[in-house]
Amino acid sequence: MKIAKYPFAVLSAALFTVMLITPISSLSNLIWLASVDMPVGLFSSLEVILFDFQRLGIVLLGVVSIGFTVAFVVAGLISRYSSLGGKYLYAVAGSAAIGVSLILMVELLFQTQLLGGNRTLIGTILHWGAGFFGGYFFYKLISEEKNYTFIVRFLGVFYAYFILGLVLNWVFTPVSAAAEFGFTLYELNSAAQNALLRDFTSFFVATFLFSILGVITLNPVWFFSAGIIYIGAGIFNLVAIYAHGTDFNQIFVGEFVLGSWPIALGLVINHQQKKLKE
Amino acid sequence: MKAQNLFLILLFSTSLFSEYKFETILSDLDDAWSLEFLSEDKIIYTEMPGKLKIADFSNGSTVEIKNVPKVQYSSQGGLSEVVLDPDFSSNRTLYLSYSAKNADGKSTLYLMSAKLNEDSLESNKVIFEAKAPRRVPVHIGAKIAFLDDGTILLASGDGFDHREKAQTLDNHFGKIIRINKDGTVPKDNPFVNVKNALPDIYSYGHRNMQGLIVTKNGQIYEHEHGPQGGDEMNLIEPSINYGWPAITYGIDYSGAVISPFTEKDGMQQPLLHWTPSIAPSDMIFYEGDKYPELNNSFLVTALVSKDVKKVTFSENGKDIQESLFGSLNSRLRNIQASPNGLIYLLTDGPRGKLIKVLPEEL
Repeated sequence: MKIAKYPFAVLSAALFTVMLITPISSLSNLIWLASVDMPVGLFSSLEVILFDFQRLGIVLLGVVSIGFTVAFVVAGLISRYSSLGGKYLYAVAGSAAIGVSLILMVELLFQTQLLGGNRTLIGTILHWGAGFFGGYFFYKLISEEKNYTFIVRFLGVFYAYFILGLVLNWVFTPVSAAAEFGFTLYELNSAAQNALLRDFTSFFVATFLFSILGVITLNPVWFFSAGIIYIGAGIFNLVAIYAHGTDFNQIFVGEFVLGSWPIALGLVINHQQKKLKE
Repeated sequence: MKAQNLFLILLFSTSLFSEYKFETILSDLDDAWSLEFLSEDKIIYTEMPGKLKIADFSNGSTVEIKNVPKVQYSSQGGLSEVVLDPDFSSNRTLYLSYSAKNADGKSTLYLMSAKLNEDSLESNKVIFEAKAPRRVPVHIGAKIAFLDDGTILLASGDGFDHREKAQTLDNHFGKIIRINKDGTVPKDNPFVNVKNALPDIYSYGHRNMQGLIVTKNGQIYEHEHGPQGGDEMNLIEPSINYGWPAITYGIDYSGAVISPFTEKDGMQQPLLHWTPSIAPSDMIFYEGDKYPELNNSFLVTALVSKDVKKVTFSENGKDIQESLFGSLNSRLRNIQASPNGLIYLLTDGPRGKLIKVLPEEL
């Protein structure tokens, strides 16, 4: 567990930093839209912020994780072989990692500024600031002893984060969500559209909430509940193919993965709780 | 002249499922971007690194034109469009759009007129410099078309990093420009008397326009790249705001939302939008008699879908589309009809080809 602590701390710090960074782009965009008299309201703002958190966030998570890995290894070496150390070293390293990553994204990859929130000086400063807090968060994670709950909670949050994308798609853009599942929503009759929208949305919202409740309470039942739903979806996908003659749909692989993930977390909690009782 | 650049009839790349046959006319073209027919057997074409060439199919020769302006060949920039003056046969004038660095060292879009004299350009004159400076030449636009009154339309793209400026009239990002042949501004341009607006702007709220044509009845059609999704085809009218980036059907390459809105009063809806993106790269309105099934259709080349979209509109305005020439399996950069109505396609990239689409009787 001790060896695993560092990678998980990097990923956790990256996720924390992404949560700070994505609203910079969302808000700068919303402010501009409002400035040109677009009807920006609570619903549209929520849509932008949540979508960005999920879609832009997943891209940034990769970039920030790589940047943090390099920066924190360097900071660790400096800390080990010099008198410098402590939380501010990692905070500065986090800030530098974000700054360098943003520059390299432009210079090496795209030649243009892909992050809308980083096109102004204040936006750039805010990104560096987010990296600073991310580095500080990393230091806090590695400097304090963590038990199994840290890893379970991290993997549970990551799982919920993934499911959140499906939730948002079905709540806000069901046509696009349906297209990702391989069919055109408007080709169904009205009753079928209604059934599909309410059932699918409820399905994903429920599993999202189950995983969040599992993270908060560490009660394995919540994770098992989410897992059973997806394992069930995978099993009945195969039943539909082989018993009812529908086309082969390889999405059952994803369903088994999404089912096994929370079940594994539930089993870890069960095992650890039994050990504690003994 | 490079012998390998030109050869006739060599490949009949016909797929089992294709109704069309193709003949490769030129190959090894270096990022060819646009072409114009000087006659049925002779074309003038641009290559993005800054080459302007004339190819004669009748004798297999290729001649490079001298005195071409220095361009900034980088990213999406370089020598872009070549268009002949409507009175070319008498005045020998042509127009070139290209990206180059301005006095401040920033990249921007230029339009130049020149006279073609044998194998050289003469009387070169920059008639337009876009007030759209950018760090690197991306989202240039650069398409040129002539209106019936002899004025020139030029597409000036949003520069990617400057997309919000497509909504303001004090710059040339995301605009269609209308100027006279000498670079002066027509007095009847829509924003001539609007304070703080550049007088040469004709329409605004565009992204990266890659197709711009004027049909025989004088209507202007344009198409433009969206980001992820939201490629658009528009009917262009003066003073109209086409909405980018305040309304769009696409999302950003990063996955971020550009706008949660797809429509708003005062912002024009597209005739159609392609989501997911096809990356439309050029367009003609075909009115020849060589391919009766294509007559009176828009033909739109595409980079991503690697085909030509035949687009027509029903009486209620709904678009009807058909995918053509997909068996070529090539990113298609440009499409032109020859004076006799034969269709030619330019493929994209450093080893591009000029391909003739053979009608059935051939």
